[in-house]
Amino acid sequence: MNEEQQLKLQAFLDGELPEKDAREVASWLARDSDATQLHAELRNTRQALKGFEPQLKVPESREFYWSKIKREIERSTPAPVPERVSLFTSLRRFLLPLGAVAVLTLAGIVTLHQFGGSVVHPVQVNAILADAGAFTYRDEAQGVTVVWLSYPAEKKLADSPSRATLPAK
Amino acid sequence: MAELAYSSAEDAALVRAAQKGDTDAFEELVARHRDKIYARAFSMMRNEEEAIDLSQEAWVKGWQRLAQFQGDSSFATWITRIVINLCLDELRKQKRRRTESIEGMDEESGGVERQMPVVMTNPTERLERGELRQRIERALSQLSHEHRTVLVLHEFEEMEYKEIAKAMECSIGTVMSRLFYARRKLASLLADLKNENS
Repeated sequence: MNEEQQLKLQAFLDGELPEKDAREVASWLARDSDATQLHAELRNTRQALKGFEPQLKVPESREFYWSKIKREIERSTPAPVPERVSLFTSLRRFLLPLGAVAVLTLAGIVTLHQFGGSVVHPVQVNAILADAGAFTYRDEAQGVTVVWLSYPAEKKLADSPSRATLPAK
Repeated sequence: MAELAYSSAEDAALVRAAQKGDTDAFEELVARHRDKIYARAFSMMRNEEEAIDLSQEAWVKGWQRLAQFQGDSSFATWITRIVINLCLDELRKQKRRRTESIEGMDEESGGVERQMPVVMTNPTERLERGELRQRIERALSQLSHEHRTVLVLHEFEEMEYKEIAKAMECSIGTVMSRLFYARRKLASLLADLKNENS
């Protein structure tokens, strides 16, 4: 029996042969005593191993065995990833105070235009240049004062050294 | 959320909890399957210290890759595959380190086992289960790493030829050859042990 035949016999035992080849080997086994004996030996060895795997237990206590695993897990667990600030959030921080300034400026222009300059009201507009987020609009005649404060301008307001005052018309 | 009763929970529930970062649930999984994982590592390495280290490494890797576990197989099968791969990696490293022996070359190319007379006795007959287990243990320790590994993967893990070939990074033909010679050598070793006994 050559090596190829031996391996084919084993593949037959392990159910690894295609159906056609398996039929051929079964037929060969029926008429060849050497093949039958080798097949029996391979089968006996397989049976000896099946269900007779050596039973082993970890030679360490549960606590000690786990403690080493836990230590490695804790050591290798990646630190939480810091939250990334999105582009939208960054833009919003800049655009919100800028938008407020634009709205207030527009409101001032409209108000002045409405009265056509015939009646002059004392209007004072204070812009804190250190941070465009802080803006004050005061109309003495109308008795209206609008103050726009936005974070972080709100925090910096007290520290702001530069202040420009637009004279009332 | 109700607290999970670890000791009575099924593996799947423990895995889900562990996937959310619950290390207590993972500890329960370790406690349940640690003997099997250690036994598999020992069956391949034949060294207690290496088996402990590799089995623990398998659990750490299991924790790190827990998000990848989809439940296609049982958790026990999944973690067993991890320890098998670690053992195979370690055996490959060891093989690169050691000088190829004449015996090793002989085993790779077929050796004397192919020419051995057929063993007619059945090792499972006339032996107590415990005794047979011990004899198999001794016989397995006398096989080369390559032969023992292919036998362990096929007989104990019930892996198919192609699965073993993939795990061992060799051809299906090599798997078939190694399995054949491993079985023949084991048959002769068990027969010799039996003769010693009688």
